[in-house]
Amino acid sequence: MKVSLSWLNDYIPIDKESYSSIADALTMVGLEVDSITDRYDYLDRIIVGRILNIKPHPNAEKLKVCDVDIGNRVIQVVCGAPNIHEDMVAPVALPGTRFPDGPLLEKGRIRNEISEGMLCSEAELGLGSDRSGVMILDQKQLIGNKLAKALELSDVVFEIDLTPNRPDCLSIIGIAREIAAIQQTTIKYPETSLSDSSNRISDFTSITIKAPDLCPRYAARLVFDINIAPSPFWLQDRLMSVGLRPINNIVDITNFVLMETGQPLHAFDFDRLSDHRIVVRQAKKGETFITLDKKEHLLTPDMLMICDGEKPVALAGIMGGRNSEVTESTTRVLIESAYFTPVGIRKTSKKLGINSESSHRFERGVDPEGIITALNRAAQLMSELGKGSLIEGIIDKYSKVINARAITLNVGDTNRLLGTSFDYDEIKNLLKSIEFNVEKTGNDGLVVIPPSFRVDIARQVDLMEEIARLSGYNNIPTTYPLIPAKARQPEKQFNLRNRLKRIMAGFGFTETINYSFINRSSCDSLRLESADQRRNMVDILNPLTEEQAVMRTSLIPGLLETIHRNIAKQIKSLRLFEVGKIYISRGKDNLPEEIEMIAGILTGSWADASWHSKEIGCNFFDIKGVVEELLNRLKIDHIKFTCMPDNSCTYTRPGHTAQIFQEKKFIGMAGEIHPQVLRNFDLKQTAFIFELDLNVISDFISETIRSKPIPKFPSISRDITVIIDKDLESSKLLEIIKELGEELIENFYLFDVFEGDTIPQNKKSISLRITYRSKHKTLEDNEVNYIHKNITDRLLKKFDASLPT
Amino acid sequence: MAKTIEQIYEEALREIKSASNIESIKTLSIRYLGRKGVITHFLRNISNLPLEKRADVGKRANDVKKSLDKAFNQALKALETKSLQKDYKIDVSLPGRAIQQGFLHPITQITWQICKILEKIGFDIAEGPEVETDHYNFEALNIPKNHPAREMQDTFYVSDNIVLRTHTSSIQVRIMEKLTPPVRIIAPGKVYRCDSDLTHTPMFHQVEGLMVDEGISFGDLKGILTTFIHHIFDEKTTLRFRPSFFPFTEPSAEVDIRCVMCRGKGCRVCSHTGWLEIIGAGMVHPAVFENVGYDTTRYTGLAFGMGVERIAMLKYGIDDIRKFFENDLRFLRQF
Repeated sequence: MKVSLSWLNDYIPIDKESYSSIADALTMVGLEVDSITDRYDYLDRIIVGRILNIKPHPNAEKLKVCDVDIGNRVIQVVCGAPNIHEDMVAPVALPGTRFPDGPLLEKGRIRNEISEGMLCSEAELGLGSDRSGVMILDQKQLIGNKLAKALELSDVVFEIDLTPNRPDCLSIIGIAREIAAIQQTTIKYPETSLSDSSNRISDFTSITIKAPDLCPRYAARLVFDINIAPSPFWLQDRLMSVGLRPINNIVDITNFVLMETGQPLHAFDFDRLSDHRIVVRQAKKGETFITLDKKEHLLTPDMLMICDGEKPVALAGIMGGRNSEVTESTTRVLIESAYFTPVGIRKTSKKLGINSESSHRFERGVDPEGIITALNRAAQLMSELGKGSLIEGIIDKYSKVINARAITLNVGDTNRLLGTSFDYDEIKNLLKSIEFNVEKTGNDGLVVIPPSFRVDIARQVDLMEEIARLSGYNNIPTTYPLIPAKARQPEKQFNLRNRLKRIMAGFGFTETINYSFINRSSCDSLRLESADQRRNMVDILNPLTEEQAVMRTSLIPGLLETIHRNIAKQIKSLRLFEVGKIYISRGKDNLPEEIEMIAGILTGSWADASWHSKEIGCNFFDIKGVVEELLNRLKIDHIKFTCMPDNSCTYTRPGHTAQIFQEKKFIGMAGEIHPQVLRNFDLKQTAFIFELDLNVISDFISETIRSKPIPKFPSISRDITVIIDKDLESSKLLEIIKELGEELIENFYLFDVFEGDTIPQNKKSISLRITYRSKHKTLEDNEVNYIHKNITDRLLKKFDASLPT
Repeated sequence: MAKTIEQIYEEALREIKSASNIESIKTLSIRYLGRKGVITHFLRNISNLPLEKRADVGKRANDVKKSLDKAFNQALKALETKSLQKDYKIDVSLPGRAIQQGFLHPITQITWQICKILEKIGFDIAEGPEVETDHYNFEALNIPKNHPAREMQDTFYVSDNIVLRTHTSSIQVRIMEKLTPPVRIIAPGKVYRCDSDLTHTPMFHQVEGLMVDEGISFGDLKGILTTFIHHIFDEKTTLRFRPSFFPFTEPSAEVDIRCVMCRGKGCRVCSHTGWLEIIGAGMVHPAVFENVGYDTTRYTGLAFGMGVERIAMLKYGIDDIRKFFENDLRFLRQF
């Protein structure tokens, strides 16, 4: 909402010098002043110049070529105005000027003669209505001075960012009222002096409301014998001051009253209304309508239409129709001033995609009692400025009266909510300053009737907000709540997520956050099977781009795109992770399943070449090591990695992918990205990933830690090397040892794998180290030898293995 | 008597000086100061001297013993240092063997900072779904369908009744349905709005706060948020509360801080106003309480919400919000 101080000054005395403190004060009562500009800023490149000499234009009879002194130099200007003469002082627009009616002035040639500027008329500059010739300036003006400075032109304009609850401020008077409350002055409302001594209007027209729920009130007046012409300059000036372009007197008057009072009006060409009457009804199914902007709309029965005797003539409260608009030949108009139900207007304007000054106000709620004032104001201006004759009488159909609400306000409750100590009189004065009616009731109570334009005030708490904002939020004492010293455990996942992030960062992985939306085609890029549940994606009905059209069902596409972006910037060794949700659809009308996942990705080298070692590449076992230690840190035991069956994970390389189990529960995977997937993401280097489901692993996390005694007796370590089938997973050997449950075995691990040379083909040798320790004594060699032999025998037998020769 | 104490002393010093390795110093030390050493022997024989000389010679011999002890130690240390350097000297200016710590995303770091401050004040953490029903995101928060307030947030729709949550305020009603007052929670998380430019991304992060109990006042809201801002920025940060509008709070407030870039002089970041909007807040609207069956005559509540990216941008001097989600390592490694 734009307001100019010059216009405000019509209703309330404004000290132009203190505009910035007025702006601050408005912001602090809730009308945020977004920007402060001067409406004459567009005159910045208009200079006072003097015509030095005038020559005829060699190629055009009606044009002249002038040398114009603009202070610091002399420029050549081509001009066609009849009133120019040598020594004349006039405004010169320099290239780059944007004129109020739109065009941008550029340096150029006119009929082959250079023109470095333009001599301007009053009308061209938006400073008057005279367009007959170049504007004549006083001879005493300083040549080269800016025109705005020379003529002392300045009018500050506030752009106010209004919240949707304050439609009453969508008008100059509305803003003036707030300033009046701040400055504790009173506002001077415009006066109308219409005297209806008869009701002649009903001889000419009638109004029928068939949809009172959508149109509780509709009023109209008639003005005949109108002469359509440009508005007088003062009216044009008012409109231009808030950025509206003047059109003709009738349209300008409806716009002027709209801006002044906030009440949208519409002027119909009375002679284009069939039967000369108005019917307010809902649209018929299949009906179409062409609005003022020449667009055709298909109507539905929930839309409210203003109709004449046979057809719709306006989209109620939103936009008028082509078939009834005021034209140059119009002589008789019907002025509409109505109250339409906000929800109805909003539904229609949203459905049709039209947002007009009018719909903007109706959908927020106009003043139901301001309708007649606005109508009278417009009618009077039309009869004066359009030289028309007002038909006496008014039609005011008010079928559903909107009653003023009386709200009881308790002083104690107010102070308790706000943390203040206002007394009755302070509250009364604050509310009265914005035209609320206040009566005392009982000891601690007030009965408040808000003015009809404050459609946002519905209950006691709304009044409390008024009191708070008018007294100033910053004047309310700052206090601290007294609350019980009680705390609740956060959800398990919250702690787990933060632990995971810290651990991963400790491992040298950097956290990324990718968008939750992905391209629909990402599932194809991952080669997901048609039955994969990750194909059940949540579609966004109104995505910004194709790349962000569905909610992700995997963290992998985002990570692959991220490494692609980094590699393109020459960062080729990356260790990244993300903790975030994936979204699996459960049908369009249900909330999806949101599953929180962690995924890590590793590509490039594990360690760069340096002065003490060569570059170390990365492979599957680097990513596996990360997962192992991650789970280890979370104290999740009994983890098993087994080969992912072929085709079970389509986006990783077969034979190079592990599925991860805790006991028998699948908790995630780790593996190398499938070469085809690399190509799909335009990656030229391989990458290793892991994925874990937080919901699942959180179940295995124990809240308690029990400390164990540190062993007192020494341990003995023994190695076993066995030769087994190459295809046998080495973990099977370890499982056998574990199954033994031998209590003297403290731990065991695989420390070497060897193939080739001395080992037969299709075989490999595996070396394990077992550490033995007793809690109660120092072990003897023969005790350990006995157990160790047992284990060796068992392994040999179980896997048809042999010992190295 | 063969040698005087002075002769022994001089000879010992001479020998220390000419000793070239640690072993010979040790041998010398035993030869002079050991149990059967020269000095020990000398001291033992003092009783053979005339009575009047014994005291002076004895004292002198003890002084010599102390001096020699010191001299041996010094010589030993000097030789030790020399021998450690002799093997080889390293180039300490060569780069160290790399250890890499990863980086936490700046949004995670700022979220943690925000949560930590608010947890100290007494809030518990709560979370909720990101794909949310129209009911929890709008209706229950007093934002009916066809209300102009819906225009304040550009919403991504999944269906007529399902949206991507536009704010973490959607958690409020879910939490209040579960708990009876006192309620005090904060809810960090992702939110979505269809908007994209230098200062908007379609996904961003918010932290929501909600406190409901008997006697919670607007003054308390000011107190909590003042404390919060003084912690997340610094104690000198000036702030102001100004009236605003959110359908689910009444009174509603916008909290501005003095621009951290220009300290209030006016710059591009603060649109030349000198102030930055940082938190939306207010007292819980009674209509919201009515939706969850709380007694509006007994309980009042305060609520607030803030954008994590905005705070991160101000704290770190980041001018383009999209950088947070490009995940360029050169960006992430700065935090």
